[in-house]
Amino acid sequence: MVATDEELVVKSMAGDVESFNQLVLRWERPIYALAYRVIGRDEDARDVVQQTFLRAFRALPGFKGQAKFSSWLYRIALNLCRDWIRRKKRTPLVEMPEGIDVVELASEQGPAESIEDLVARQEMSRIVAEGMKKLPEEQRTAIVLKEYHGLTFQEIADLQGCPLSTVKTRLYQGLTVLRRHLESQGMTKFESGKGP
Amino acid sequence: MSIKFTCDDKATLVAYLYGEIDAATRQAVDDHLAQCAACASEVTALGETRSGLGLWAPPDVELDFQIVKKSELPPSNVLRPARWWKDVPAWAQAAAAVLVVAAGLSIANLQVTSGPNGLSVRTGWMSQQPVAAALSEPFDGAAVEQRVERALVSLEQQLRTEIRSVNAETTGTAPRGTADEATVRRVQQLLAEAEQRNQRQLAARFVELTRDLNLQRRADLMNVKRVVNSFAGAYDERLMRQSQMINNVIRVSSTPQ
Repeated sequence: MVATDEELVVKSMAGDVESFNQLVLRWERPIYALAYRVIGRDEDARDVVQQTFLRAFRALPGFKGQAKFSSWLYRIALNLCRDWIRRKKRTPLVEMPEGIDVVELASEQGPAESIEDLVARQEMSRIVAEGMKKLPEEQRTAIVLKEYHGLTFQEIADLQGCPLSTVKTRLYQGLTVLRRHLESQGMTKFESGKGP
Repeated sequence: MSIKFTCDDKATLVAYLYGEIDAATRQAVDDHLAQCAACASEVTALGETRSGLGLWAPPDVELDFQIVKKSELPPSNVLRPARWWKDVPAWAQAAAAVLVVAAGLSIANLQVTSGPNGLSVRTGWMSQQPVAAALSEPFDGAAVEQRVERALVSLEQQLRTEIRSVNAETTGTAPRGTADEATVRRVQQLLAEAEQRNQRQLAARFVELTRDLNLQRRADLMNVKRVVNSFAGAYDERLMRQSQMINNVIRVSSTPQ
């Protein structure tokens, strides 16, 4: 039976490092994805992940369990991302992963998708990343938390320290700017299956 | 009391978009969208924008972070990775092994000296055989053994000559006394012991060398096998992709425009 986060947290607080490492294993990828999408740089996102877990480990005795462990981690990671953006004093750069091989992508997508479709998909991914880069940090973070991490409006409001209505406004404004960007690039139809 | 949705209520529109809305409000939005083309178009466009977001994925990276207690780290880990030698190329490891063997063999070399304090026989670094020279020659166990033997014979002859000349100086033509014979026997015994010791050391070093070489050979074979397997796998994979690509191209080109 798989231990819950809460159980692992209790064991970790009792000094069981292995339990904490299980939490790391469980959450490192979502935290990395969050940091990567907010910061836009692979290496810095890795640093954020490392710092997040180090901070969490050190602050574990102070974790009272008022929030979910994952929310607590998200908060630490977002604070680190914010620090990073402030320190660098620049908007995040969104780097596309290097060495993307269309042929490799083709093998992942299966025979139903043509090379043209794959190239188009890669190009669309780049355009989306560019559009996200244009957004203010608050809007981008709200969209990332909602779209990729499935947080509720209230959870995002708690993490961002703002009213629930502000979260909705940020999402609306962010999506609208993104929509214009995509339209300006000739992108209107997508087939990734996401929708209301 | 019925809920009314208006065009400028973007917060409710977002809630509708993400499905975080109660049934009554959802119905109100649905009713509005059925009548307002602008709002309906906006909802569709925002939905498509959300679909576009699904195309953006972070790179698939290896993370494997772990919290490790400092006390659990061996001291060597502070300064270098535990398996630091894995980064050393095979040729460098081989060179290091040759260096160790050469050093061992040079230790086994015999050194016999005679001086005012008498005769001394010992093993150690020979001044005539620097390490660099030993390294420059390919290792040949038989040659080393022969060299040691030649040195021993030469030294024995030299000693006999010296003893004879000393006897001639002190006793003229008198026959050798029992003391001289005992000295010679002693020297011969020392030489024999030294030779036996050298042979034992050489044998031990050969055993070590053979064992090390066998281990290295097995490790290399395993590495080669692993690399060959990975190449074979990659090749098969590439072949499959190319085949898929060709199929795709054929399919696309055969599709009427």
